[in-house]
Amino acid sequence: MGLDRHPVERYISWIGNAAQGDLGVSPRSGASINEMIGRRLPNSALLAFIAFVVAVPTSLAAGIFAGIYPDSRLDRFLSIGSLLTISVPEFIIGVILMLVFSSKLGWLPSSTIMLPGETIMSKPEVLVLPILTITGALFAYILRMARANVMEVMESNYVRTAVLKGIPMRQVVMKHVLPNALIPTITVIANNVGWMFGGLIVVEFVFAYPGVGSLLIMAIDTRDMRLLQSTAMVIASVYAFSNLAADLAYGLLNPRIRYG
Amino acid sequence: MTSLQSVRNTSSSVLTSLTVKGISKLLAFFSIASKTTSGRIGLFIVLIHFLLAVFGSFITPYSPTAFGAENLQHRLEGPTFAHPFGTDHFGRDVLSRVIAGARSIVWISVIGTTLGIFLGTVVGITSGYLGGWIDQISMRFMDWLLSFPSLLLALLLITIGAERFDIDESWLIIMVIGIAFMPNNSRVIRSASLTVKPLEFVQNARLRGEPLYYIVFREILPNVLPVIGVEATLRLSFALLLTASLGFLGLGVQPPTPDWGLMVSDGREFLSMAPWVALSPALAMGSLVIGVNLLADGIRQALQLPEVRSE
Amino acid sequence: MKKEREVLLSVAGLSVSFFTPRGTIRAVRDASFEVARGEVLGIVGESGCGKSTAAFAIMGYLPKTAEIEGSILFEGKSISDLDANELRSLRGNRIAMVYQDPTTSLNPSMKIGLQVAEVVLEHMDLSSSQTSDRVIELFESVGLADPDEIGNRYPHELSGGMQQRVMIAMALACDPDLLIMDEPTTGLDVTTEATILDLVASLKERVNAGILYVSHNLGVIARVADRVSVMYAGQTVEQSTVYELFDSPQHPYTAGLLSCVPKPPQEGGETTRLRRIPGFVFSSQESNDDLCLFSDRCPLANEKCMTQPPAVISSPHGSEVRCIRSHDVDSDIWGEVEQILGVPQSQSETVLMAEQLTHEYGKHQKKYVLFGPETSTPVRALNEVDFDVKKGRTLGIVGESGSGKSTLARAAVGLIEARSGTIKLHNESLANKVENRSQDERSAIQMVFQNPTASLNPKLRIRNTILRSLRRFAGLGRDESQLRAEELMLAVGLDPSYLDRLPSELSGGEQQRVAIAGAFSANPEVVVADEAVSSLDVSVQAQVLNLLEDRQKELGNSYLFISHDLGVVRYLSDEIMVIYAGYVAEYGPSSSVLSLPSHPYTEALLSAAPVPDPTVESNSLRLEGAVPTMRERFPGCFFASRCPRKLGSICDDSPPPSQDAGEGNGHVISCHIPVKELSAVQS
Repeated sequence: MGLDRHPVERYISWIGNAAQGDLGVSPRSGASINEMIGRRLPNSALLAFIAFVVAVPTSLAAGIFAGIYPDSRLDRFLSIGSLLTISVPEFIIGVILMLVFSSKLGWLPSSTIMLPGETIMSKPEVLVLPILTITGALFAYILRMARANVMEVMESNYVRTAVLKGIPMRQVVMKHVLPNALIPTITVIANNVGWMFGGLIVVEFVFAYPGVGSLLIMAIDTRDMRLLQSTAMVIASVYAFSNLAADLAYGLLNPRIRYG
Repeated sequence: MTSLQSVRNTSSSVLTSLTVKGISKLLAFFSIASKTTSGRIGLFIVLIHFLLAVFGSFITPYSPTAFGAENLQHRLEGPTFAHPFGTDHFGRDVLSRVIAGARSIVWISVIGTTLGIFLGTVVGITSGYLGGWIDQISMRFMDWLLSFPSLLLALLLITIGAERFDIDESWLIIMVIGIAFMPNNSRVIRSASLTVKPLEFVQNARLRGEPLYYIVFREILPNVLPVIGVEATLRLSFALLLTASLGFLGLGVQPPTPDWGLMVSDGREFLSMAPWVALSPALAMGSLVIGVNLLADGIRQALQLPEVRSE
Repeated sequence: MKKEREVLLSVAGLSVSFFTPRGTIRAVRDASFEVARGEVLGIVGESGCGKSTAAFAIMGYLPKTAEIEGSILFEGKSISDLDANELRSLRGNRIAMVYQDPTTSLNPSMKIGLQVAEVVLEHMDLSSSQTSDRVIELFESVGLADPDEIGNRYPHELSGGMQQRVMIAMALACDPDLLIMDEPTTGLDVTTEATILDLVASLKERVNAGILYVSHNLGVIARVADRVSVMYAGQTVEQSTVYELFDSPQHPYTAGLLSCVPKPPQEGGETTRLRRIPGFVFSSQESNDDLCLFSDRCPLANEKCMTQPPAVISSPHGSEVRCIRSHDVDSDIWGEVEQILGVPQSQSETVLMAEQLTHEYGKHQKKYVLFGPETSTPVRALNEVDFDVKKGRTLGIVGESGSGKSTLARAAVGLIEARSGTIKLHNESLANKVENRSQDERSAIQMVFQNPTASLNPKLRIRNTILRSLRRFAGLGRDESQLRAEELMLAVGLDPSYLDRLPSELSGGEQQRVAIAGAFSANPEVVVADEAVSSLDVSVQAQVLNLLEDRQKELGNSYLFISHDLGVVRYLSDEIMVIYAGYVAEYGPSSSVLSLPSHPYTEALLSAAPVPDPTVESNSLRLEGAVPTMRERFPGCFFASRCPRKLGSICDDSPPPSQDAGEGNGHVISCHIPVKELSAVQS
């Protein structure tokens, strides 16, 4: 295994191999790291993707409504709700959901025990609780951002111009408020996506979901440095990638940047 | 007067003036915080937790860490008058454990946040004011740190730290929080100080030939303080969440010291038969963070700062 | 036959109050005026008089915390009786508005063509192709170049003047009956302002509407208005035709305003000292208005004025005035006219001079760091500028935005490190960066900024700022500093008790006085005033200008006075430099620069400046476009792109020579046109 070589040498050769896509073998379990990560990455991706798709449109819509009609009953309700969800760590939300839906009602499994050969798709019910947990936190966060941005735009001079042109409120919102409020909202969300990645790690651990997050924790628990390195690197790369994508999207959306 | 006496006089007068200043600043803080309803509720909750953290060990009805045969007879009992939060799987009184657990999480989060704010302020204001390559380099370094999701960064730093250095894990977590939060803090504070820098009174200070430290501390800093204050309360809530998450993952304070995160994790096993074991610390955790968030909102509203943070 | 006067808007007894946690603010107390079709009613007043609030009240656009009393009748119907839908059908359609800041009043993410089309589509029944035609037609009518394709641009691609034209086009889109214009030219350069005012004046002929024009600038009102209503502290205090108002004002406040305004730069003759209105505006938070609100500042006020509110007296031919002593009002009630004497030129030595001062902003950036096409080029803000300030005299620097005048001011003082060139104090070179100068050198040159609120640290009491300054420059002990600080406050006309206040407790004018006190605490030889009076109301401006003048008389210091307002510059300056795009267009004694021979740019500036006298015909010499951002060194004249007197290719190919005007007083003009030709008036 080359353990007799100098640690720095080993590290460098690991980087070299990693660059070629070969992450080596875990000294603890003897299994191929590539394979472990490769098996779990799609699961994590699936979880993140669904949570995103569920959370983002709903929270944006709610946040926009709350921003246009601040201090309405719905706004107050959403504010309090989002405050609660943001304040409670994901693992607690997860545990509470587990308590309600799994222990008491027995509708959903509390942890993801997969037999070899089974995939997520064959047991979709294991996705529900983790997704609910992540969505809850994301929802609250996006809601607050969207609401604040919309409120700020509603105070702007160009919205005043639009209103004083005699345009119906709905059109003012669609054409003047939304385009200008959504851009900074999406940017801030994109910049803070890293925090969602952290949440993913915890949630996977709570529900024993077979993704890279729980793999990371396993590596830490077993002090498996090589596995830890590799997994951390993979997670960090995906994160960097998504940030880049967000920057590009922002550049496309903002006409000032597009047309200089 | 001997020199010893004069030294004592000066130091006591300095101490008195600092204490007087400190108390008046604290009172000012309380008055701002209590201006709005959310601020008042938040302040109330936070104060309770804070007091528990300081004086908790004196008021626990039972020992939070006792481990004996007698305890084991009372395992997993539900909430009763004797044990308002029930007992856990080792027969320990859950209420006592929750009260005792306040200390570690509050202290670690507060000190860690302070460290992060301090580092972020120093870096943010100085590099924002000086500009040029100093600014470029520090911001690039911050960007690099930011390229890791914060929990991931924390996990990595803890693992490496625990391996290489032999420090008390509380201090490790404090340092990790400080480092993990420094980049975001420095960016926010830097952009706030960049809005202050072109203001004419700062330029006037340059015209008076004021040295750098004067401009940074007497001209810029006081005007950036409100931003720092709000940032601090926000970061505190993140720090609490992070500390609890680390505890939950088993990387926080080690047993037998009670840790809320770890308590929740341990309680998962008994969720169906004795939910109070996991729920009590969860409740305590949630209420604290809600309190901090309400306080932050209250202060922000009282000082009429914009809700949106750029970046 | 005289056309019937059709009254479109009738406002009577309007009062608007806002309820805030800090108390009730009475923005408008009692305003009454009328706008008739085909007529421009100008509403003039200083900041806080309630004119903008009244304008928004007419649109029905006030926050929920506002309480309105009185009547606003549009074509006979009361605005406050309309429901939301009826109001919506009026807005943009029968009543349209143009705002003060066009940049923030346009949606940054929407093409301007679409924004104008929106109004048409909402209120008029046209097909989409008819709408596009209408939009192009509108763009043409407001004088925008390329009306066919300009609609595809976004607001940030247009200059301030163009943006405002778009707003006017938007307002005219549905042929409104009433057009409300709220300070539309306030944020624009004077040459751009002149073109917009031309447009507004032409609207009177072309458009079948009544126009309500709100402004604080008397020159602008004189140009565009037919009738004028003067507002003070939320009340309309005088109303008459524009000629009557300027010729024989009936209200003491109006008379005071007129005597505060510096003489127009075009007028020859000696400079006369500005009169000023002492005191401060009646507070909008004061609830007891059972007296004449102007009485505490009025030279004619008697006991009756201070105990009873004056009734509004109407005269038979339609003018009104809210004053019981209006028959005693003439221009002398504000003091006698005094001449100003300056220090004769020959007796002065040079205190501060600059040679070949050059500065650029930004860097050369290439697309791929070291290779590839350039993505950004530095902006040349100053190009080899020389100036010379003599002891006890004032050098005025005049230019529009983008001319480099602020850069010049900051470079002289050292806040900006000029890229090249030398600055000398009494013939000793100074470091270009203020941090590298000695404390003595720093104390010799101090600065007063445009924004008085930002000049003071909001967290520190006035005392701290002044004492700190004294400590840094004079090294005085504690008691001496206290004494000196009080002296300084008195010298700028403020009570020493102000030392204990926070900046937020002072008005803009008071804050500026504190800033001046701070500058003088260093005992400077030169004070650089960078647009020091530009953000102040006219009456406050007069106070500060007189203050600056008095200090100069007493202490013998020099000023480097930067402004875009030629009238103000003329008032204080002995010499004037006209700067354009970082180059010196003209330089010399004030009277020479402001009279012929003139550089074509100076000529344009002079003809653009609005004169507070409606009988003066506006000179039609106009400049199109805006001051260019100079990025490259190019061979020709800096003014070639806009010069109305361009000779030809010589102007594009070679830099203009610096010609002496032949008056023997150092008056130079940088132009290819021979001086003799420049002496001929161009109209």
